Amino acid sequence: MSDIAPEMWDKLSPSDSAAVTSAPSLTYWQDARRRLFANKPAVVSIIFIVLLILAAIFGPLFSPFTYADQNLRLANIPPAFETYSVADGQGGTTRFFLNASNFNLYEVDAEGHVLGLLRGERKDMLKKSQAFIFGDTTITLDYSKLPARLLAEDGATISPSGWSWNRTYIFGTDQLGRDVLVRQLYGARISLTVAFVATLVNFFIGIFYGGIAGYIGGKTDAVMMRVVEIIATIPLTLYVVLLMVVFDSGLYSIIIAIGSVFWVDMARIVRGQILSLKSQDYVAAARTMGAGTGRILTRHLLPNSIGPIIVTLTMLIPSAIFIESFMSFIGLGVTPPLASWGTLTSDAVETMRAYPHQLFFPAAAISLTMFAFNFLGDGLRDALDPRFRR
Amino acid sequence: MPLYILQRLGMMLLTLWAIVTLTFFLMHAVPGGPFVSERMLAPEIEAALNAKYGLDQPIWVQYLSYLRGIVTLDLGPSFKYPGVSINTMIADGLPVTLRTGLLAVIAVVALGVPLGIVAALNRNRWPDTTVMLIATIGVAIPSYVIATVTLYIFALRLGWVPTFGLDDWRGYILPVFALSGFWISFVARLTRSSLLETFEQDYMTTARAKGLRPGQVLFKHGLRNSLIPVITILGPVVANLITGSFVIEQIFALPGIGRQFVLSITNRDYTAIMGITIFYAAALMVMILIVDLLYAVLDPRIKLTEASA
Amino acid sequence: MTEPILSVRDLKTSFFTQRGEVQAVRGVSFDVYPGEILGIVGESGSGKSITCMSILRLLKPAGRIKSGSAIFDGQDLMTLSEADLSDVRGNRIGMIFQDPMTSLNPTLSVGEQVIETILRHRKATRAEARARAVELFELVRIPSAAERLKSYPHEFSGGMRQRVMIAIALACDPKLLIADEPTTALDVTIQRQILGLLRDLQQRLGMAVILITHDLGVIAEVTDRIVVMYGGLVMETGPVRDLFATPKHPYTRGLLASVPDLRDDTHRRLTPIPGSPPDMAHPPSGCPFTPRCPHAMRICATDLPPIFGIGQGARCWLHHPEAPPSLLPSREKVPEGRMRGPSP
Repeated sequence: MSDIAPEMWDKLSPSDSAAVTSAPSLTYWQDARRRLFANKPAVVSIIFIVLLILAAIFGPLFSPFTYADQNLRLANIPPAFETYSVADGQGGTTRFFLNASNFNLYEVDAEGHVLGLLRGERKDMLKKSQAFIFGDTTITLDYSKLPARLLAEDGATISPSGWSWNRTYIFGTDQLGRDVLVRQLYGARISLTVAFVATLVNFFIGIFYGGIAGYIGGKTDAVMMRVVEIIATIPLTLYVVLLMVVFDSGLYSIIIAIGSVFWVDMARIVRGQILSLKSQDYVAAARTMGAGTGRILTRHLLPNSIGPIIVTLTMLIPSAIFIESFMSFIGLGVTPPLASWGTLTSDAVETMRAYPHQLFFPAAAISLTMFAFNFLGDGLRDALDPRFRR
Repeated sequence: MPLYILQRLGMMLLTLWAIVTLTFFLMHAVPGGPFVSERMLAPEIEAALNAKYGLDQPIWVQYLSYLRGIVTLDLGPSFKYPGVSINTMIADGLPVTLRTGLLAVIAVVALGVPLGIVAALNRNRWPDTTVMLIATIGVAIPSYVIATVTLYIFALRLGWVPTFGLDDWRGYILPVFALSGFWISFVARLTRSSLLETFEQDYMTTARAKGLRPGQVLFKHGLRNSLIPVITILGPVVANLITGSFVIEQIFALPGIGRQFVLSITNRDYTAIMGITIFYAAALMVMILIVDLLYAVLDPRIKLTEASA
Repeated sequence: MTEPILSVRDLKTSFFTQRGEVQAVRGVSFDVYPGEILGIVGESGSGKSITCMSILRLLKPAGRIKSGSAIFDGQDLMTLSEADLSDVRGNRIGMIFQDPMTSLNPTLSVGEQVIETILRHRKATRAEARARAVELFELVRIPSAAERLKSYPHEFSGGMRQRVMIAIALACDPKLLIADEPTTALDVTIQRQILGLLRDLQQRLGMAVILITHDLGVIAEVTDRIVVMYGGLVMETGPVRDLFATPKHPYTRGLLASVPDLRDDTHRRLTPIPGSPPDMAHPPSGCPFTPRCPHAMRICATDLPPIFGIGQGARCWLHHPEAPPSLLPSREKVPEGRMRGPSP
């Protein structure tokens, strides 16, 4: 029975028994950051957003084109093309590609830089064909039957010799021969500017309105919230439309229109936070210790309601981006020649049948951006919402 | 109950009045008159037009007469199309907008709720991940992008559906999908999170402790409670389907109110913009009232006696 | 000697969270005999509620029963299929929860919530089930029972809601009623009423009851035997009188010392137990009470003691035959005559 050593029965000194391991405790922000960075979609989104912002700011500086540079001779050029090469019989070779929708031939170099429009002979309106002469060689473009084809002198169809990315206009050009890539980047500038400024405006109005309503409470609160209720029943997009009609389109108008309408959610969140926090003991404690209203608001109430506020802000950004592009799409946004993802999409719809690439880029850009902000918002909510902390 | 409805109706009228007033003064704040902007008119013609439409009156007289019109359900004449009243414009577009809108609402409920249930029941397993991925895509992509891209793929490239017009039932597919895509995703996400929250409730444990079958626990106890928040957002859903329809109707060339609205904006037809806005707001508020009443039927805790909870 | 109606053996339940495995119940064994009230007492986090939720396998998804058995009426509830188990739940075993405010479905009438239980387990028409529901409401003393069936939970007070919960639990004449802190969320006066009702119903219906509580006053008043839990383990078990008269485990002693005794007029000072319960994500290898125990020995920190003693048993090294008697403040022998309740 005596497999227990006698010294085991010695009394345990208090210091020994007090050695209790405790888990390392994290502060709210450390914990939130850990949770956010553990969320892969959110991390990818952050990276995407940072890259997008950098591209929007610095991208246009590296482009030889501006958003307004038109080159009607090089309109509707795709981002990739099938190239043909023709020997002129004098040792030279011309490389070009055929735009099957507008029946033009464009000369390109071996790397895929677009050199210019090839001038052919007079178009034969009856036979629907056009001859192109390269030294000794003549090639006929036959567009009497679609798709258009290129015929050699003996009447045989010439097939492309290869394909190449467009090195001059990486995303191609639009119907006015403007570089789609640089217009995309300007679109990103517009979208992000509108998003951030409008969100900031919302933030301040919302904090101010909601903070006052929640802090004063009582009758003031009731009246202020009734007003919010009335505003909230109105479809906000409708009011942005009306404001845009009044202001006339433009970047500033759309920022003002979005900023002046979408603060309602923020005001509600802030008020709710303030109301629930106001009744908490530490605020009462601060008040007892003689802290003034301003100090209580800035030192105690706002820092503690910052989590939901940040989440609401992050969620406001994609809606602002959406509304801006929506307005631009229906023709109430930025004025030409300025580009926004909405106007780019709406312009592309007209030429969608022939040049789907013009639709693809702005559609992808806005969708990816919306994704990123949505994922980031979800990630922040999960990281900051105490209800999910366990 | 009747008192509650009366109160709500009163509130509604107040809101509507606020909207009418706001819209009216906003539209009259547009620099210049409605006839200044595009056409160059001889001063005497412009004056005659102004007199015809009462624009030479002081603004409050115009306001009162507009209010009088609203009360008698008359939204006035169009500035752009002489002889056409806004009422006719709306009546012409209403059937198309109503049909696509209704189909979209049905799609939202019939697809969004079941998807959310499937996701919640399979939490963190592949059906959940799949549904949530699709829903996240659906929430992120703007409706006009869905509309244009699906139009390109299914109508232009594949030719499965007509590119425009509603002569064929297939003509409804893309507009309804583009209109409801966001809200199907949103409702799926909401249903999922609401169900998951309900699963955590004590009464769900009670239901299991009573020996109820899994189906009874889910449908009778779980779903009923978690659908309440879903019902409450159906009001805003309708609102957004309406505003979403501007651009969808334009892209698919559907002769609805939304297209008429966008047309009025490009035409600067101020009475039409004003009239359609007010019509939208009124329609919306009726919808929200209906949803609220439905809500009260579902949740016995809501007493229909006080103005708001 | 009667057979136990429920026999729990070596039950282990863990919760799998982001912090890792939290061992809420670490090998709990006890018996419940027909017609007795067994009290399970312990601080919050001691694993007493989890034990009972485990018996009916009602844990939330994060919780998992790792091992153990719970033989009820000859069937092991741990290995029963979910369908067969649901035939037992609400039928042969009823359960009441802590918070009557949240345990009833707010969107269904209370009558419906009773009737659906009856319809689930009994071949009855709706009218019969309704009549039975009225009967049950009268049994739990809800005034104007027939009319109240149509009411919704929010129209009841907390005490009344707990009566509804009891009615639901008793709907099918269970052999065993598990009451998980049924009075904790209620006002003191209501607590008395509900407790009296429970005791009364138990005697009238002759069922066995497991009463989980952290309130020793409740235990003293209504239970026959006690299981004291701490750190997911049974610390001491025995007939209620013996335990109150001669607590053998320092933890039990500490618990009793921390409760005011109104009958005691010696102005004894209340002594709270210093320290806090162990972190069950990192359970200690020895006795979980060691850091708070005034008599802790070297062995307590390293080795988990078994339960010493028959009838009244305590999981404490002090009761090891080789333990130095000097350490034990008062190791009294319990007089045979005071033994109560069934003992093997």
